[in-house]
Amino acid sequence: MAHILLRDLDVPDIWQFDTYVANGGYAALRKSVKELSPDEVTKIVIDANLRGRGGAGFPTGRKWSFIPKTAQVKYVTVNADESEPGTFKDRQLLEGNPHQLIEGAMIAAYAIQATAVYIYCRGEFWDLAHALEDRIEEARKANLVGENVLGSGWSCDMFVHLGAGAYICGEESALLNSLQGLLGQPRVRPPFPAQMGGGLYYWPTVVNNVETLANVPWIIDHGAEAYKAIGTPESPGPKIFCLSGHVAKPGNYELPLGKTFRELIYDYAGGIPNGKKLKAILPSGASGPVLPATDEVLNAPMTYESVAALGSTLGSASFILMDEDTDMVWAAAKMIHFFKHESCGKCTPCREGTYWLDQIYHRLLRGQGTARDLEQLERVPKQMVGVTLCALGDFAANPVLSTVHHFRHEYERYIKQPALEKAGAVAEPV
Amino acid sequence: MNLVRGFATTFKHILEGPVTVQYPEQERPLRERFKGKHALKRYDNGLEKCIGCSLCAAACPADAIWVEAAENTDEERYSPGERYAKTYEINMLRCIFCGYCEDACPTEAIVLEHEFRLSFNDRRDAIYTKDKLIDPLPAGVEGTPRQTEPGVYTRSIPDMKNPD
Amino acid sequence: MAETVTISIDGQSYQVPKGANLVDAAKLHGTDIPVFCYHPKMKPVGMCRMCLVELGSVTVNRESGKPDLDEHGQPVIRWQPKLQTACTQTVSEGMAIRTSTAKVVEARDDILEFILTSHPLDCPICDKGGECPLQNLTMAYGPGESQFLYDDKQHLAKHVPLGELIYLDRERCIQCARCTRFCDEVVGDDVLAFHERGRKLQIVTVSDPPFDTKFSGNTTDICPVGALTTADFRFGARPWELSEVPSICPHCPVGCNISASTRLDRDSGGKKVIKRIMPRQNEQVNEIWICDKGRFGHHHSLSSNRLQTPMLKKDGAWVEIDWKTAYQEVTSRLQKYGEKVGFLAGPSLSNEDLWEMRKLARRTCRDCQIGLWPATMTGLEAVTQAGVGVGTHLAALGPESAILVIASDFEEEAPIWWLQVKQAADRGAKVMVANARPTKLDQYAKCVVRYEYGEAVEVLNHIAVFARRHDKLNQTLVEGRVDGFAELEADLKGKRVPKQHSEAAELLLDTENLVIFAGNEGLTLAQQAELMQAAANLLILTGHVARPNNGLVAVWPGANMQGALDLGFSAEATVSLLDNPPSMWVIGDADPVAEDARAAAVLDQAEFVVVSTQFMTPTAEQADLVLPVLSFAEREGTFTNAMRRVQRFYMAQTPLEGALSAWKVFAQIGSALPGGDKPRISAALVMRDIAQHVVRYAGMNYTDLAHVETQFPDVGGHDLYYGGNAYANHGGLGIQWATNAEKENYRLTVRPVSAEAPKYEDLTLIPIRLLYNRDVLFEPSTVMHARIPAPYADFNAKDAAQLGIIDGDQVVISAGDLQINVSARVNGQAPTGFVLLPIRLSQLPVPAAPAMCSVQKVEE
Repeated sequence: MAHILLRDLDVPDIWQFDTYVANGGYAALRKSVKELSPDEVTKIVIDANLRGRGGAGFPTGRKWSFIPKTAQVKYVTVNADESEPGTFKDRQLLEGNPHQLIEGAMIAAYAIQATAVYIYCRGEFWDLAHALEDRIEEARKANLVGENVLGSGWSCDMFVHLGAGAYICGEESALLNSLQGLLGQPRVRPPFPAQMGGGLYYWPTVVNNVETLANVPWIIDHGAEAYKAIGTPESPGPKIFCLSGHVAKPGNYELPLGKTFRELIYDYAGGIPNGKKLKAILPSGASGPVLPATDEVLNAPMTYESVAALGSTLGSASFILMDEDTDMVWAAAKMIHFFKHESCGKCTPCREGTYWLDQIYHRLLRGQGTARDLEQLERVPKQMVGVTLCALGDFAANPVLSTVHHFRHEYERYIKQPALEKAGAVAEPV
Repeated sequence: MNLVRGFATTFKHILEGPVTVQYPEQERPLRERFKGKHALKRYDNGLEKCIGCSLCAAACPADAIWVEAAENTDEERYSPGERYAKTYEINMLRCIFCGYCEDACPTEAIVLEHEFRLSFNDRRDAIYTKDKLIDPLPAGVEGTPRQTEPGVYTRSIPDMKNPD
Repeated sequence: MAETVTISIDGQSYQVPKGANLVDAAKLHGTDIPVFCYHPKMKPVGMCRMCLVELGSVTVNRESGKPDLDEHGQPVIRWQPKLQTACTQTVSEGMAIRTSTAKVVEARDDILEFILTSHPLDCPICDKGGECPLQNLTMAYGPGESQFLYDDKQHLAKHVPLGELIYLDRERCIQCARCTRFCDEVVGDDVLAFHERGRKLQIVTVSDPPFDTKFSGNTTDICPVGALTTADFRFGARPWELSEVPSICPHCPVGCNISASTRLDRDSGGKKVIKRIMPRQNEQVNEIWICDKGRFGHHHSLSSNRLQTPMLKKDGAWVEIDWKTAYQEVTSRLQKYGEKVGFLAGPSLSNEDLWEMRKLARRTCRDCQIGLWPATMTGLEAVTQAGVGVGTHLAALGPESAILVIASDFEEEAPIWWLQVKQAADRGAKVMVANARPTKLDQYAKCVVRYEYGEAVEVLNHIAVFARRHDKLNQTLVEGRVDGFAELEADLKGKRVPKQHSEAAELLLDTENLVIFAGNEGLTLAQQAELMQAAANLLILTGHVARPNNGLVAVWPGANMQGALDLGFSAEATVSLLDNPPSMWVIGDADPVAEDARAAAVLDQAEFVVVSTQFMTPTAEQADLVLPVLSFAEREGTFTNAMRRVQRFYMAQTPLEGALSAWKVFAQIGSALPGGDKPRISAALVMRDIAQHVVRYAGMNYTDLAHVETQFPDVGGHDLYYGGNAYANHGGLGIQWATNAEKENYRLTVRPVSAEAPKYEDLTLIPIRLLYNRDVLFEPSTVMHARIPAPYADFNAKDAAQLGIIDGDQVVISAGDLQINVSARVNGQAPTGFVLLPIRLSQLPVPAAPAMCSVQKVEE
């Protein structure tokens, strides 16, 4: 089957404007602006049941429909702050198939009648961002972006903004703060970004992930029914799975939602190298709970619902695979150190909790852990869950709680055999 | 029979010597926990333990203690940390030697010691000022105030244990 | 009462104001929801997570629109699965919360444990220890012990100066952002910010000079831990050792309610001294804020330069005399000079002082002039007619109100009003600023009117013309109670209104409420009188009188100018005294020699000058007899603020030996004069005399002035976490005297005002007022010296180019006989043709009114 999203795998030069147009590019935008009303566009996307690919899986069309029509200024913000560990799908989209994103963003902008589109790229994407600016310029020259788009009388310009390397700015309200030039900290909700007072510069704003918007042109082109035919009824459409870690062929795989873990890992990605056994899967980067590689897990379909039923989340579908030799305590310590480093510090449980957990892991890995530390590892994350301002507090608790739950014996090993010191595993605590 | 037992006790005590001692020629040993005149302690390096927090004054049931604090600098340091007692006075006429001040002190700076021979000719002499209360300097260390290296004595309670 | 909604708190139903914050609403009914980051005066941010509660709402049946009921007939409440922060919730009908369930208790416990993981255990040396929200809430809600290992605590810098007034202890900071939000939201000076992220998140100052705001001290009050402390108080005392004395700030016309924290002090010889000044809540005056001048400007009271004995100048040398001799000296002189005695009162005498001085003047001779210093502002008549309505509440003004600030650099002259007007603008009030030069308030104004110095009156006239033309007059009031309308109408008729003014007028007159703040910048005394009348005309004609939040406020140049005017002192009398100098002067707490060269010359010619003063001021130096008096902190009395609120202050400090209250001094002198009666024994009795003789103060007494009511938000109780460490008001909210407009049977008078403006052709010097200056009461506060600028003058770039001076040059400004040595600033402040010269930056006089000047550059 031809790719819908990773079309650069099929058409090598699709990043070029002419190639993209020659392959049917911008037809969907043309169709939307010329033939469909904004409400009809939104309706198609709602019917297609496109779910946000950033991690939460919220229906995209419904998000668009929340934007108050009366607002004078509305924005579309593209979340290209791809900073979840193990996620690199947006990068490939931005690099290989940028016009599809531009088209999708413009369709979204048309659907809510936005006045501007902002693409917020993570700071490390500076080269992509500069290239993207050139692509936007090409679209602008073709009157697909900017003043009076395709002669419709509707104007909407597009801008690229570079972040400064903060994980938290992938959270939509922190992203908006950062775009506005404020400190990248999440906002209190309500008001939500789609409401008055909650969005960019306090105007109603739609915040969508890069991959979500890349789906949109195909939906408009082929219709909602065709889209729903891919994947499962609850989670339709193609999804890019990012595979990394102990896997023979790491990389991005575009598959319909609903394939099983086993199919993806063993059929497509070539299994685990050196004939080793798979031990655990992180199904959504660092932020989701770890799944042990049991048969129950491997045979489960990869949809938002079934992964949730397994006690984890599909999230951004960035799978980090770990083979049997992986030290889960060390892995969890790495993740906690990451969250400690990335916690914005705005609310207490996350700021202090990640710091505390990091201290405990540091002690464990130095071989100084005690039974008391293991108790704390079960207790402290529970104090963080559900009481933080944004989801980062919950994310940080996930790797700890899930590894302690599934791999308790490994923790006990650290406590019983203090000699197991793992040098340099965690940076010195600050 | 009871009568006999009673007399036996009496005779036994007749034979014992007197308990009265000839003070001041002769002194009785004091108990370890005897509460006498206060002393303001110093660390081994000569810095004062007292940080001027006034908690002793707050705890004092007789309102006998008067503390005024001021700020340490590295040029003129009395105690570790930012705060020291500029004025420290105990009115010995008011003091009831209950030892609450000792309990309240977070740095173990004030200790009731074994000196009990307090006498004054004037009520005003009963107010013991800081120089009367503070311990002598350990041998070979510089007194207070003194100049210290910046960034060394930043905390008031240097070796505070985990308070559990 | 405003609209209410019903909410349920822990199963009890309560009526609470619609739109209220949930924490406030619960507080109103006595339910504590602990908070660290939330503050009732600021927007919620939900950072500390301390206020977690179980939140639910009544489920409503879709068909009937009525709440679903359970089998007991009680509404069914759907509880949210997660705990919610109460501070980010606005109350709504049917909202239900539970604040004391096991889940909530545990969550609070957890949050406190988290906060304490990074908080040092140095309460014994912390200035906040004893009045610390974190301490209190830990005791109330915290875990008995922490699971966190003490050795894992991080160590950060403990002594970081944020400017020279405030110190930051990074370890103690719990990142609640109250200080940064105060600076951003309340003050509008974004000088503090967060830096870094996560556990490294820290407060930094981003301005140069650091922490550059006039309100920095307030951040220490609202800091819920001891992270921010003032350089002034640092380790001064433990909070439980302090006794609180209600007082009134003696520095500006706002009349902020303050609380003097006092303690016995060994260095001061065992006297009770002021250790710090804290705000005292009075929602209608200063809410819970005070400016840094008020907070740190109390040191004059403890200064070692205070005068302690009366002194007589004999052959050019001072001789100490006793009080009895001093009284005799004055009494005999008063009898000798009789009608040739002039009286002059300063801006910070209390009403009692002024009353006794006036009595003394009347007893000396019937026509003695009683002047007021500084003689730059007048307009009691206008205020009496059209002053702001009783009950005016600046902190409540919103989109329905307009505020006009004219001829005043508001932040420098009345900082707390500036704060309140700025916040009103944020809430949507239409603020208009009219001045000849840019001021800081401009950035919050909906409309800025620029005029040339001297033309201020014209602006108000034009607005009145606009009002008349566009049917904005209050016909009922004009026809029923106003005299002189015909003449005024004739004068206004046919005036052409420039577009800028008509736009401004449209903005101002389109609202329900209108408050006018009138200053005197760039105005002569006569012009200022006209400005006040023009403002009164406008307010009366448009009916913006006799209601709260409507009317005129004069930005007087002193704490008790209003009281002085009320008691018969006037700037006009001062002018007449200077024009026809008397042989003898009795001066109370004024320093004309330092401020006005002409006054200095006149006093030099006088035969005998008596000065009552705290310090050996230039005026005292030139006098023949000085009488030492007590400062505001050492005695009782009342000040009347510029909103006509009479407020009591109490004795905070052990009075200086040898000095007396000024009213006592004047009363003693008066008692020896023929017909003199025995001096009153207390200030309260003097107030009783005032109430009997002065109509405006009729019925006032010290008991009523000390009356307090519960205010909202209720700050200063034991719940320090809620509103910060500002004190509750136990000293009295004060009483505003009613204007004539508010008294039904009084008629109001309007009259045409002359808008004639002198054409300033040559370079003209405009005296301006700065908050931080070398005023005799402020100079002794050495902690503030870094904030007082060296004498300078602002030049327009064009003038500067012509004169060949650049920013930073030393220049000599000659105005009349005066030679003023200052450094020049060229920064876009001064309009072309004018030089702005701040007064009282040195002890050398500058002109008190606009004056022609020439400028010479000092070559190095």
